[in-house]
Formats: sequence, C-alpha cells, structure tokens
Amino acid sequence: MNKPLEAGLGGTHFIRIDQQRCEFLVPRWAFTDQAVLDKEREEIFGRCWLYVGHASEIPQAGDFVARKVGGRQLFLWRGEDGVPKVYFNTCTHRGAMVCREKQGNAKRLTCPYHGWTYDTRGGMVEQPGASGFPDDFFANGAKNLVSPAKVEAYRDFVFVNFDPSAVDLTTYLAGAAECLDLVADQGQHGMEVTPGEQVYSMRANWKLLYENSADGYHAITAHASYFDYLRATVGVFREDFNPHDVGGGGKSLGNGHAVIEYQAPWGRPVAQWVPQWGESGRAEIARVKAELTARLGEQRADRIANWNRNILIFPNLVINDIMGLTVRTFQPVTPGYLEVNAVSLAPRGEHPEMRAWRQYNFNEFLGPAGFATPDDVEMLELCQQAYQNMPEVGWNDISKGMNRPDNNQGDDEVQMRSFWIRWDELMGAAR
Amino acid sequence: MALLTRAEVEDFLYHEAALLDDWKTLEWAELFTEDCEYLVPPTDLPDADKNAALFIINDDHHRLVQRAKRLTRRTAHVEFPHSKVRHTIHNVRILEQDEAGLTVASNQVVYRAKRQNLDTFVCHTIHKLARTADGLRIRSKRVMLDIDGLRPHGMISGIL
Repeated sequence: MNKPLEAGLGGTHFIRIDQQRCEFLVPRWAFTDQAVLDKEREEIFGRCWLYVGHASEIPQAGDFVARKVGGRQLFLWRGEDGVPKVYFNTCTHRGAMVCREKQGNAKRLTCPYHGWTYDTRGGMVEQPGASGFPDDFFANGAKNLVSPAKVEAYRDFVFVNFDPSAVDLTTYLAGAAECLDLVADQGQHGMEVTPGEQVYSMRANWKLLYENSADGYHAITAHASYFDYLRATVGVFREDFNPHDVGGGGKSLGNGHAVIEYQAPWGRPVAQWVPQWGESGRAEIARVKAELTARLGEQRADRIANWNRNILIFPNLVINDIMGLTVRTFQPVTPGYLEVNAVSLAPRGEHPEMRAWRQYNFNEFLGPAGFATPDDVEMLELCQQAYQNMPEVGWNDISKGMNRPDNNQGDDEVQMRSFWIRWDELMGAAR
Repeated sequence: MALLTRAEVEDFLYHEAALLDDWKTLEWAELFTEDCEYLVPPTDLPDADKNAALFIINDDHHRLVQRAKRLTRRTAHVEFPHSKVRHTIHNVRILEQDEAGLTVASNQVVYRAKRQNLDTFVCHTIHKLARTADGLRIRSKRVMLDIDGLRPHGMISGIL
C-alpha cells in the first residue's frame, strides 16, 4: 500500500473517494501509525480549537480545574475579574506543575519547587530570595504564567487554540454553534456541569471514538442488549420503534463538525417523559416543556425536547444530547490508546427529582459501566487489534448513504465522511 | 438474635465473590433486596450523592437485575466471551450492627483479564446487609475505586 507519509505527504490524499461507485475508503494505518499521530499533534491538535471546560466548573473567582488538552497540561482559573483564564500548568522557572489539585480555589498558586507565586492574572508576583536577578528581570510579565495563543468561550464552553493565526472560535464552530445553542438554551438560568467526572480510556485510536460517537448504524447490532434493557423497562419501549428509521439524519456542519439528529423511545430530561419517571415526573416534564415553549417558541421547544442530537465538534469534543446530556472529550496518548473525560451537563436550577432521574438515566446507556458504552469500547478495541491485518486488509469503508446525498438517514455515515474530509485537508491533502 | 461474627459475614462476602468470579450473575442478583442499590461513585467524589452527582454505576433493583441478565447474553459483546475475573477480599470490618442488619467495610481487589490485558480494580466496598428469613441480603453495595480513573481499564464491563 502506498503510505502518503512515507511518500512525503504533499498533495497526497489519505482517503479515497470514488463518487461513481459511491465508495469512501480510509486507510487503516491512519489509526496505527506513530508518524500519523505526530503529524496530527501538529496539524490538528496544534491548530484546531480544543475544548477545555465549561465556565460553570469554576463559578467563583479563584476556582480552578486542571485539564489535559491536546497533549498539554492546562488549567482553567477564574480570575478575580470574573473572567475564566487558561494557563499552561508549568512554572516559568524550572517547569514544575503549579496547579497540583484537580480542582480547588486559590487567589495565588505557588510552585512547590522554588516558591514562585502567581496570581489569577498569571502574574509572577512573589518569590523567595529575589536577589541574583537584575532589577528589571521580571518586568513586563517576563516570567508570568503562559496562556495558549487563543482562549475564547462560546456560551460558557471554553476553548483554546495553540495557533496564533487561528480564526476566531465562532467562525471555527460554523454550523456547530447552532447545535451548542440548542444545548445552552435548555436551561432558563443557564447550564451547569454536575459533580462527578467519568474518567476512562480506550485501547483504540482517537478517531475511532469520534466516528463511534455519532454512529446511528451500529446501534441495533452493537447495542442490542441496551434495547433489551429498554424493552424490560416498563412502558419505555415502543414496539414500533425501528432504529433504522428514526427520522432526521446526519448533517455536516462545516470544518469537520457534524450532527446526527433523530427521535428515540428513551426518556429525555429535557423534555421527553417516560412512564418510569411516574406522575410527578410527568408533571415536571410538562412544566419544563411549557417553559421552553414560552421562552423559545413551539417549534424550537419541540426540536430541543423531542429530538436527540449527537454533536461532533472537530476534532475531539462530543456532546451527546440523548437520554442524558454528556460533554465528552478525548485525547490521543499513543496511536492505540486514548483518554476520555465525560461529565453530565444540566440546566441550572433543575428540580432535584428531575436531576436525580437525569443522573440515573445517563448511566443506563452512557459511561464506562453503562449498558452500551462498554460494548462501544469493545468494538473499538476489536477494530484496533484487527488492524494488525493491515498488510492484506487495509481499508475501512465509510460509504453508507453516499448514494442518497439529498436524503440522509440517521444510520448513514455522512457525519464521518465530513470528519475525514476535514482531517485529510488538515493533514496535507489540500496543500 | 445473636450478633453475627466477622467470620460469618466474611463467608457471605466470599460467597458473593465466588458467584461473580463464576459469572453466576443471576444468582448474584438474588442476593439483593427489592429496595437495593448498587453504586460505583465517580473516582473524584467517592462520597457523592447519587441524586446529585454523575456516578459510574447507579443501579436500583430493576437495573441491577437487567445488568445481571445482560451479562449472560452473547449480545453483551464486551463480556462475550467472558473475561477471567477474580475477587479477593481483605480487611473486613463490621462497622455497625443491630438485629435488622449490619454495615460492613472491606478492601477488595478485582482482577479482570482479557486479550492479553490484565486490569486491576482497587476497591473500598461498603455493604449494607439485611438479616432476612432467607439469610443475609444486600440492601446497598457501594464500591469506591482507589484509582484516579478507569485507565487503562476503560470500563467496568462486569460487576465489581
């Protein structure tokens, strides 16, 4: 097989598209090759906007959370001016991490190695034994904490970009901004990340998880046992439900972002009632829906309440607005290993009973011990291991739906193709 | 009613562990009361409230039984074929006891092996046990993981 990286990349496509045959192929070594990951770190994680956290995770001045993002160690710190800042978690002196707790509150952080102390503006404001430096050595912020080249938030979702020449965040988000609006609008008083983070991993390439996160096609096979669970849960499952016919479909949102939007029988805390939640749950869901309708109009309220959205924001943010609302990021560590962090997002001020159902509902499908995600992990790991057969069997097929571009179905693969086309451009295909 | 000894409680915990190691998950589910809970809180908040926080496992009786059934099916792909699992139990302490039941703390290490990977779950487990006519039954099992995250485990595919 011709490996473009070895051939020098310039102008060479990784992917193969045959419009006439309606065939879309991705080489399996894109998932296994260290040189590909090295290049992804430069061209994708070094240039794209990457999600760091949600402003609600640092509500008070001085609140901080530490994050690994794009191969860097960062922390998000609410300034005394109220603005969320992002810094590289490294002392400008000798490099030790200055933020050593996963979360907390501090007006100043002191490096434990030599005592250099920083305030929320990043200023290096104090150090023991100040002699031995010229008077102006620390002037003009010369030894302040360093921030990523760009830090911007869209509706409380805070992103960074390591490329000073990057376009602004809203331009980058393109059509995905509207999907974030459909999430952010769910809360009358805004949205908040709830306590508790699901921290897990997969022995698989990060792009496999991106594909899997909005894959309507795999549901009926890979998640057969989840549908058994729904069938066994009183009143939830409609026997006329056909996972291959869920309305809606996949849509490319530009810049590699995509969404699949569809209807499904499970409960949605905003706002699709299921009998499991009882009469008090029914009344609360009706109240939530009425509030949405009054605030946003009937059409938009129906779209938020009745439609599920798996939102892919290139390259590594997934917001699944399904039986729960999960914000999930993942980072490659090696070509065959990724790390995942996932939280549950909810309307601020949600009724405690509904919040309890929301968290319970989240676990029925999602997360590392849900009734579905472990099977996803298994599928991805089976793929990754089987790519050892690459010398003889070298290409993945992502063609489903190419023959009906104007009539995409929820189990088509257009959202994955939009990822791969963008990935291919960034990796050098268009240059 | 005489109070139970630690040895009697250990026998019960060992029985539970043996069922899990042998993948007799349906029998395992029968050890629980109708009002039971089986919880794995997030690794960053072991003392969290299940009604407020996002847990890793938040099962009531219905979901626990379904979890047990799922793990007997070929469609639970991640556990088909079943991995090798071994529970070991240490430092068993009876924290509270009255005639109705007892609270038991134990340290448990659960090993899972599949496809050349061995994953180790280090657990601090609290059982709330009810004394019933049929013997001890589990009203609550809360497994707190002494790891920073499910890395490299990736998941809890079986039962801790």
